[in-house]
Amino acid sequence: MADGTARTDGAAEPVDLSRRVFLRGAGGAAAGGVLAPALLGAAAGGCAAGATAGAGAATSAALAAPPGADPAGRELVGEVEIELAINGTRQKLVVEPRTTLLDALRTRLEPPLTGTKSVCERGNCGACTVLVDGEPRYACLQLACDLRGRAITTVEGLGSPEKLSVLQQEFVAQDGSMCGFCTPGFVVAITACLQRDPRASEQEIRRACAGNLCRCGTHPQVFAAALAAGRRLAEGQR
Amino acid sequence: MKLEPRAVPLQDAPPKRKVKTTQVVNGIETEVEIEVEDVPAGQWPPRASLRVLNHDIPRVDGPVKVSGAARYTHDVRVPGMVWARLLLSPLPRARVAALDLEAARAVPGVVHVLVVEREETGWLGQPVAVVAAETLEAAGDGLRALAARFEPLPWVVDHAAAVREGAPAVGRGANVGRPETDGDEARARAALSASATRVRATYTVPVQHHASLETHGVVVDYRGGEDAVVYCSTQYAQGFAAEAAKELGLKAGNVRGVVEHMGGGFGSKFGLDAQGLYACRIAKELKRPVHLMLDRRAEFLMSGNRSGTSMTIEAGCDAQGSLTGLVAEAWKHGGLGRGSLSGLPYCYKAGAHFRDVRSVRMHLDASRAMRAPGHPQASFGMESILDELAYAAGLDLVEIRRRNAAHPAWVRQLDRVAREIGWDQHPHRTQPGKPDREECIGIGFGISNWGSGGSSDCEAEVRIEKDGSVVVACAAQDLGTGTRMYMAAIAAEEFGLPVAAVTARLGDSRLPTGVASGGSVTTPSVAPAVKDACTRARGAFAAHLAQVLGRSAEGFRFGPDGVRHDGMTERLAWSKACGTLPAEGLSARGKWQESLQTRGVRCTQAAQVAVDPGTGRVRVLHMVCLQEVGLALNRLAVKSQIQGGMIQALGYALGEGRQLDSALGLQLNASFEEYKIPHALEIPRMTTLIDDDDTRNGVAGVGEPPAIPGASAIANAVHNACGARVRELPITPDKVLLALGKVV
Ligand code: FES
Ligand code: FES
Repeated sequence: MADGTARTDGAAEPVDLSRRVFLRGAGGAAAGGVLAPALLGAAAGGCAAGATAGAGAATSAALAAPPGADPAGRELVGEVEIELAINGTRQKLVVEPRTTLLDALRTRLEPPLTGTKSVCERGNCGACTVLVDGEPRYACLQLACDLRGRAITTVEGLGSPEKLSVLQQEFVAQDGSMCGFCTPGFVVAITACLQRDPRASEQEIRRACAGNLCRCGTHPQVFAAALAAGRRLAEGQR
Repeated sequence: MKLEPRAVPLQDAPPKRKVKTTQVVNGIETEVEIEVEDVPAGQWPPRASLRVLNHDIPRVDGPVKVSGAARYTHDVRVPGMVWARLLLSPLPRARVAALDLEAARAVPGVVHVLVVEREETGWLGQPVAVVAAETLEAAGDGLRALAARFEPLPWVVDHAAAVREGAPAVGRGANVGRPETDGDEARARAALSASATRVRATYTVPVQHHASLETHGVVVDYRGGEDAVVYCSTQYAQGFAAEAAKELGLKAGNVRGVVEHMGGGFGSKFGLDAQGLYACRIAKELKRPVHLMLDRRAEFLMSGNRSGTSMTIEAGCDAQGSLTGLVAEAWKHGGLGRGSLSGLPYCYKAGAHFRDVRSVRMHLDASRAMRAPGHPQASFGMESILDELAYAAGLDLVEIRRRNAAHPAWVRQLDRVAREIGWDQHPHRTQPGKPDREECIGIGFGISNWGSGGSSDCEAEVRIEKDGSVVVACAAQDLGTGTRMYMAAIAAEEFGLPVAAVTARLGDSRLPTGVASGGSVTTPSVAPAVKDACTRARGAFAAHLAQVLGRSAEGFRFGPDGVRHDGMTERLAWSKACGTLPAEGLSARGKWQESLQTRGVRCTQAAQVAVDPGTGRVRVLHMVCLQEVGLALNRLAVKSQIQGGMIQALGYALGEGRQLDSALGLQLNASFEEYKIPHALEIPRMTTLIDDDDTRNGVAGVGEPPAIPGASAIANAVHNACGARVRELPITPDKVLLALGKVV
């Protein structure tokens, strides 16, 4: 698995339009762009194949070749080591070019960051919301290797159980979490909203988390928590 | 000195103690001291004396949930773990024509391919093969490399096809089940003929998905040897551990089942399930831990659902609006399962009734319990026909309900809910409005009930350590309802401690016997057991202190100001008192007690909607709920749960429902993109009221009743707004336009 050694993937040709085949044709960022333009990060950055590849920045349509792959860069397979800035720390991890940020956080980091939840894996639910350079993004629609050089913040980066952010404190106080599986996504999405404007109205808050699903039905408490946190933040409280 | 936990001796006259409480006198909150009985066992203290319970208590696991630190089954990582994924039957019935196992095994990273169906599949989404690999991505490659080919066999996935002469058989036996009947048909029909007003209509509800955000699945941590730990997203920690032990071929006691947190279940998650068995098999084969969680599509296709129903109801009433007769014919659509439907006339009484209910089987996933199984379906039929009857007879919609409700609690609830929703000022109380404006406002009502009692097997343990810390434990699990929090809160109440001073442990099969969390039984099972354990622990602690201090055991009181004795002026701080305990501390086991719980919870809801007759769009403006809850352990969490039920009902009313293409044998909406659950912009104003006129001092489960009548109330409100009677859920704009005759 994540042993750091790159290899060539000798798999048989996939039989359907898998993400991988799609990526070969379209380039990673474009693939995400088709799926959810609103939540996609800047598409121009592309993927540099990391330290072991020693390649510089490349465009997303022609990703730099990982070691062991076709030197022309057409064959985007194998594993590459990249470095990501996650919650203020630079972390090395081994991913495949097709590995989403969501899977990278949850399955490739050591130790993994599992606060970001995997629920639909296709941009329908918001449970995987993270901040990329301060903007909310669905981690399931981002390719990990596209995010080199970007500042990624997950729910763990906003506060810890011992030192909760103002919004997290209000989520607890207002009972904004029941089963809690959707909660990290709501917390991150609303954090971004309040960072833009702590005086956001309830309607703005609703819009900020309209892309987040909650099956337990915590919405009214979530809105209350967001408004209460906004008031405190506007007053400069921590 | 060895401390043996023992029961508290019951006393004839319970001693009294003074407590501070707030009372509202002339509208001003004042702190008063009142004297209450220090009840030794078997009863909750009087509500007015409660310091922690029946208040708003933030969850003890809130901080880990809001910061992403809570560990769900999905998040479990153990060394050497492999990732497994499922291949499902893409058709309702098919011959498995080709599976290229060699190709799948050859995929780098793939470590195991397990075929679970080689010949023929019999339902849409039935698992066919499992691929385990070193990475999630490689497991997906393995699935694709299988290059599975399926040859269609004749199937039935809709009612009409299933009941047709010569229809392909669904399993053994007839596709239409034997009738389950109730009541006297001749009497009911005679009563209908004699009634002043009668109406007849057919109502249909779709299959609803649980749509828990955490999918079903397990992590089986078996690395060879005699022991295993199994993590499972489940509503029954002890149940799946035993199943896993059997599948792994280990002694039952050697397999520990753990569910620290779970991301929703709503009735769909009890056993180990097929995927759990496969994970065990692979783990046993590889002697390596296996992570197998369903993906979203599999969750929709193979993890159960709320059965659909089609019901034809005929009801009649006398001139005053009393139901004289009701005849119902219903079909349940539970796929391979039997489905469920509560008895009509549901929460109402009719002079005479008769019902005939049959299940219609299809080549689809079997239905499972879902939050109040059978109730929302019955409620939709019953509340709809009641409104149609009221309009036909020119009666007030609240009045007809007050008159026919089967329990007086609903009458007082209807009055209050009608007030809250503004019924008296509403113009359409006996006739629906007309589609004559851009925004037509309507109001609808519904009532519900649920049994809500607990399970007598439930046990709990309380440990008081020498350092003053307290641990409460029970094997039951917290589904997000706040079990952990009220376990801690009960102990805090009993020992006079802050909630934060108590640690609650649950979701572990090794802890004292818990309960399967279904049918709202968790709270009325666990809370009494914890309370009993605390009472016994207090008794044992008092007996110990009696020896240490040379006082009578009966005189000790545990309160927020420490430990006191009737015959002493000074107090002993809790930590000091605990310091006198032997090194192993003190522990006591408690058992469920009938007297600490209560059964039968009633709920009434109203909905106010705005319908745009030009587009057919429905917006819910306001929902009101008033519900009995017995003794509320935590008012904050009770309200959250009630609201959650109402929001699920809103989804059932306006958006949810499995969509199939019968000819192609596909589910068209097996994703959150097409299966629509409510989101932030659709949440109405919500008035959520705990019915404090319910003074029963026992704990009840509160989760089911609020999920029942909301959809009926919304459907009735749509009709009330503009005269569009939509008899099939969900009420999508096209159906509203159809009902208004705007499209044909
Ligand atoms: S998991 Fe990314 S949006 Fe649902
Ligand atoms: S709290 Fe359970 S899904 Fe939102």
